[in-house]
Amino acid sequence: MTGLRVPPGAKHPGQQAAPELGQQAAQRPGPPAEAPDERPAAAGRSPFGTAGWLRWAWRQLTSMRTALILLFLLAVASVPGSVLPQQGIDPQSVQQYYVSHPSLAPLLARLSLFNVFAAPWFAAIYLLLFLSLAGCVVPRTFRLARSARALPPPAPRNLARLPQSARHETGLAPGEALDAAAALLSARRFRLRTGDGWLSAEKGYRREVGNLLFHLALLGLLGAVALGGLFGYKADRLLVAGSSFANTVTALDEFHPGRAVSAADLQPFSITLNRFTASYVTSGALRGQPSAFHAYISYSAEPGSPVRPYDLRVNHPLNVDGVKVFLIGHGYAPVFKVTDGTGQVVFNQAVPFIAVQQTGLTSEGVVKVPDASPQQLGFAGVFLPSAVDVGGQLESVFPAPDNPRVSLVAYAGNLGENTGPSQSVYQLNTAGLRKLPIAPRPLAPGQSMKLPDGDGTLTFTGYQQWVSLAITYDPGTLPALIAGMAALAGLLLSFFVRRRRMFVRAYPGADGATVVDVAGLVRTDAGGGFEEEFDGLAEAVRSAHDGHGVTAPAAALAGTDNPARTDPEGE
Amino acid sequence: MSRLPGSACPAGSMRRRAARPRGRRPAAIAALALASGLALAGCAAGPIAQDTPVSNGQSFVSGNSGTTVFRPGAGPVAPTVTGTALTGAKLSLATYHGDVVVMNFWGSWCTPCREEAPALAQLARQFRASGVRFVGVDIRDSPANAEAFMHDFGIQYPSLNDPGDEIALDFRSTVPPAGIPTTLVIARSGRVTARVIGGTTYDGLKQLITQAAAEPS
Repeated sequence: MTGLRVPPGAKHPGQQAAPELGQQAAQRPGPPAEAPDERPAAAGRSPFGTAGWLRWAWRQLTSMRTALILLFLLAVASVPGSVLPQQGIDPQSVQQYYVSHPSLAPLLARLSLFNVFAAPWFAAIYLLLFLSLAGCVVPRTFRLARSARALPPPAPRNLARLPQSARHETGLAPGEALDAAAALLSARRFRLRTGDGWLSAEKGYRREVGNLLFHLALLGLLGAVALGGLFGYKADRLLVAGSSFANTVTALDEFHPGRAVSAADLQPFSITLNRFTASYVTSGALRGQPSAFHAYISYSAEPGSPVRPYDLRVNHPLNVDGVKVFLIGHGYAPVFKVTDGTGQVVFNQAVPFIAVQQTGLTSEGVVKVPDASPQQLGFAGVFLPSAVDVGGQLESVFPAPDNPRVSLVAYAGNLGENTGPSQSVYQLNTAGLRKLPIAPRPLAPGQSMKLPDGDGTLTFTGYQQWVSLAITYDPGTLPALIAGMAALAGLLLSFFVRRRRMFVRAYPGADGATVVDVAGLVRTDAGGGFEEEFDGLAEAVRSAHDGHGVTAPAAALAGTDNPARTDPEGE
Repeated sequence: MSRLPGSACPAGSMRRRAARPRGRRPAAIAALALASGLALAGCAAGPIAQDTPVSNGQSFVSGNSGTTVFRPGAGPVAPTVTGTALTGAKLSLATYHGDVVVMNFWGSWCTPCREEAPALAQLARQFRASGVRFVGVDIRDSPANAEAFMHDFGIQYPSLNDPGDEIALDFRSTVPPAGIPTTLVIARSGRVTARVIGGTTYDGLKQLITQAAAEPS
């Protein structure tokens, strides 16, 4: 063997156990009979102290078996999240569950089974899983980088014992036979290693690369999700036609920032809603269904940049400065003017009403007039876009504003807005209010409602439409896409690339010809196909040798038409 | 090729690890750092999130209450703000340069704003003689609503109408108003000395104004 003085039977550190009949022979030498403290192999390594236990724990955590167990646990732990109602998705069902299972429900709540995916034990499982993955994959990547130039192992002594082997004879000298085989294998992109009378070739390193790429891409996917969770945000804003807003926290209705997002990080775009049109199906079975929504907006990416128009539609979001703005909903905002008892105009604004019925878009809302004198005023009622008298009651039969009417109940007193907790602008707190004795009368645009006791007048001056916009910023989507594609590529590589080895030995045979042994070994051959490849390679080696000389050495000495041949027999 | 059950992840790595323990350590440290960094991504809100406003489900963002006070001379320079007052007149913050300016972002529909309004009105009257100017910025109110609010609380200082949130945008890189109400105290030099997110009190704001007035220009 070239330069290797390895006693027979011992394992060379660079040699895999694979050549031994393809079976795992990575048995450690059994523990000697001495006590652990006196083991000579343990010299330099302390007996199991804290560090030893930590190392043992780390090794257990990063082992493949632990990762598989954790993966299985993850799947099992997701089952209650699918079977039981979850708080974040459907709180009503959770309440229902409490009612129908009064004794069981509190116990389940203690175990966080109504919020499985945010539960600490669920988080423990996937965190441990990714810790195991990271602890396994990252050192392995370093190892791969270091061994990228590693050579194949030396050829085993007896090639006939390998799963695939072939033998033929040739008239070439052993050195020439090996050179020819080396040229052939090198042309097929095998990595070669030669020795005294043998040749080792290996191919398919990309399998490990693919395997590691897949696992690293999983880590990258987790990193991308974390990136989005840290630096991304979601926000909502309801915008009445004719008004505009900028992406600042004071202008948003709802704001859910990532952990690292502060008010200064928001992209400073502004949007004006010029006009909103909704078209509905007017006849047939689908009458009343919306057919198209168009929100005609103008936007600018930051103060001072040019204002651009855009037609915002459902599933056609606006993409500005990396932020996506989606059209989520729409509705009506009737405009009211309220004059109080002193004759002052104390309210003149469009009030968004929220649809409670989808067929005719009957909408409900409240009007709060906190600065009216002598008393604060509040109104609650409905807006009917296409009001029709049905059996003595007004109903909206079509979502378009063909016949808009507003019907309000009036209150006076204390709205509760001057102190205390913040109130929703869509809800009226009637605790401090007294209902005014005025019959609710449907108002057409332009009509007024006079309040008793000189409290004032409310005029329904017209209506606008509003849209609700969802603003999302997720910097992790592109990295997640790249990680996903890399994972797929790595997976394909690791499935379709096999790591295989070829060995060639050439030695002088009994009758003077050179005997060439060719053997092959594949590390994992799930898909099969190595036999054909080996047969092809063996055949190619044979024809490479046949092309260079006849079988009898006497003919070699006579000199053939091979100019590159040297004559080792003459040495 | 089969693996020994319980062996470390790559086959044969056990022996390699025993042969090269030193080389493994930087890789393991890197792995641990990466994994713990990912684990911490799910941790509870730390100091980063304390200044971050969240929605309170009441359809406006009221912000985490808090007062931020800057060291004298170390606060960010307030941007030049121009806008239209509710009366229709043009108003610019530049005209107040040299005075202490208290800027209050408010809306008539916002309960904490209504709660602090009497204190603001009183302080405005009290400090007018000392050259402290109050300016309001009205968010999401029509002029009629805003006028009614000012009349109701006896607020005599002007308010800028900001329907397009341009003034809030002007402040985004200095001290962004992070919710409603927000009060900014700007010293004579034009630097912001304090920001209050949430309702302010008479005593609290008086102390901030006094501190700002004590700073040299």
